Amino acid sequence: MTDRQKFISGVSASLGRSVPVAPESIDETAFFESPGDADTRAKEITQDSTSRSDELMESLRISAAKNGWNIHSVSDSENAIGVIQDICDSKGVRSVLTSDHQALNQLNVSAALSLPEGATIRTTDRELHKNSVEDSKEEAFTADLGITGVDYGIAETGTVVIHPKNRVSRLVSLAPPVHIAVIQKGQVLESLDELFAMERHDFLKDDLAGSMNLISGPSKTADIEGTTVTGIHGPLEVHLLILE
Amino acid sequence: MKPVTINFRDKASQTISDEQIQQSLEHVYTGFFKGRLAAASETDNWEALRSKGKAIKDHTIANLDYYLDLLATNVEKAGGKIHFASDAAEARKLIIGLAKNCEVKTVIKSKSMVSEEMGLAEAMNDAGFETVETDLGEYIIQLAEETPYHLIAPAVHKSRTEVAKLLDRSYQPGSEPPDATELTMMAREQLRDVFRRADMSVTGANFAVAESGSIALVTNEGNGRMSTSVPRVHVAVMGMEKIVPSIQDLSTMLRILIRSATGQRISTYVTMVNGPRKQDEEEGPEEFHLVVLNNGRDKLLSDIYMREALNCIRCGACLNACPVYRKVGGHAYGWVYPGPIGALVSPVLTGLKDGKNLPNASSLCGACHDACPVKIDIPRMLLELRWRTAEGEKDPKEKSSSMAERLVWKSWRIGMMGRKRFDLGSRIAGWTLRPFTSNGWISKAPPPVGGWTSSRDFPAVSTRSLKSFVKSMKLGGGK
Repeated sequence: MTDRQKFISGVSASLGRSVPVAPESIDETAFFESPGDADTRAKEITQDSTSRSDELMESLRISAAKNGWNIHSVSDSENAIGVIQDICDSKGVRSVLTSDHQALNQLNVSAALSLPEGATIRTTDRELHKNSVEDSKEEAFTADLGITGVDYGIAETGTVVIHPKNRVSRLVSLAPPVHIAVIQKGQVLESLDELFAMERHDFLKDDLAGSMNLISGPSKTADIEGTTVTGIHGPLEVHLLILE
Repeated sequence: MKPVTINFRDKASQTISDEQIQQSLEHVYTGFFKGRLAAASETDNWEALRSKGKAIKDHTIANLDYYLDLLATNVEKAGGKIHFASDAAEARKLIIGLAKNCEVKTVIKSKSMVSEEMGLAEAMNDAGFETVETDLGEYIIQLAEETPYHLIAPAVHKSRTEVAKLLDRSYQPGSEPPDATELTMMAREQLRDVFRRADMSVTGANFAVAESGSIALVTNEGNGRMSTSVPRVHVAVMGMEKIVPSIQDLSTMLRILIRSATGQRISTYVTMVNGPRKQDEEEGPEEFHLVVLNNGRDKLLSDIYMREALNCIRCGACLNACPVYRKVGGHAYGWVYPGPIGALVSPVLTGLKDGKNLPNASSLCGACHDACPVKIDIPRMLLELRWRTAEGEKDPKEKSSSMAERLVWKSWRIGMMGRKRFDLGSRIAGWTLRPFTSNGWISKAPPPVGGWTSSRDFPAVSTRSLKSFVKSMKLGGGK
């Protein structure tokens, strides 16, 4: 293995110098932006996503539909449960995994859904269920349906964003054949720019999540003769449930 | 992967006469090329985004030592491990060592051009680790024991029948193959099984962020997400140029990368990884390793005429735009990187002597330059390489043109520099070629210029100079 110092000295030599030198700032990268500026920007973005929530949600609805999300807009939790119930019934769902997100919790899915006898529905929680990591994985791979909340929506790209963490599994939105993402007003950002500004802000506050997934429709491939097919590794079907 | 750039001409001819592959290559144009144009035209500030992307890359590469050092510090700070490898062999040894240490059995691989440079999947299988490519195109290529045809569509040259032979055990040759959906579902079944038991993953890194030690992965299929969720150990490999300074830069780079690659506004999945999983997470890798590879990139970095090639973000847009790639296909280029960017990078990384034909695989039409999301001036650098082929590099061993050829061009140069010498020269040429001329045309010129007439006729060279011809016309007017 090449030693770090040696490797980097080699790179310095290729650049015609003996040691790395701190670069002069340029405008195009946020690297040189101060934490204060990042803070101000994050506040503006948060305000914007609240004050323009209707407009941003409408534009998410359009861009997400283009990406292959099935869109359901509902006005109350009863209707929301109705949508989820229909999906469960039509797919013959017998095992449901959910994440711990506020928008989802308020629907109280596990109590409100009526599933066939012997069916299971539970929130991923390794500690509560005394699961090993292996158990959690197996649970996700054998579930029929994954339901999650989201951390953000992105209007520009028809995307939902999830930060996996305790009680928010990486696999619930990936391994089951059907995924329902629940989003509510005020969660939609305008663009990728704003998302990464928020991430950078979290990072500067030492509050960056361990990972982040941007999901923009069902898993797809066009590797055989250029024909687009959905559902190669991830869900075959994805639903975006919008709580108005 | 061992470079065999010397066979460019033969391989190109084979592809041009293969009707099935020519048909498959159509998709590169209709799908990707047109997709990119549409995506660019619906993006208001497209040109500004490209300029911004270029500025970020120029800046990063000019300060690569600084940002690499910062990346290393921050990967470790986030709980990951950073490794440096100066060449492919070292990287293979390092990653196989990691697999041994972690007592791994099954390795899932995501698409990564750098891992192709390393010949990693093959080496790991040879070392006794079941290593499976999980991108559908790469999986097909692995089953066929071939190399990728395109940066983002590795199996673009394969027909449905060929794919059926590889994926469908019940397929009877000669019968109608299953459709793309059925074949994809077969692959899903086969690969699901592998995902569930995988204990290590190897992915690329579309970008690595210096300030936070993060990597970003772009996939449509979801294998990148599987790789960062299921196995105990996640190893990401990257060429040392793949850095951006700030998290915020990811928005600019992702926008231009994805639109240029497939014409999508965004790929189905983008995953950002900041170290291994947190202690209380439901699942995710316990270990995160980032392997940074040089493998000759320092040759590009120290060469001010060629450094710009390190700005490449591997979108494949230059391939799709290139009229030569769209005819000669991916395998002709003889190494991991095909198309215009391959014609540029391969000769520098693997030797100009063998790769001397690659810079000629271009009409210099400039379509690659127009298509490049970070505005790499590929034609300029192809010309530079042509010049080096003719004149020889600093290292005389690398001189790839013959003594005779150089002599011919030297005398040409001398001949062109004086009126009398030019007249004499053209008269000699006319007389010399006379035996090969019939009815004012040369259809079979003698060596060494025979190649010029192999696919077209050449007008006869006049034995009279232009000057005496004009004089004899006795034109009116003038003065």
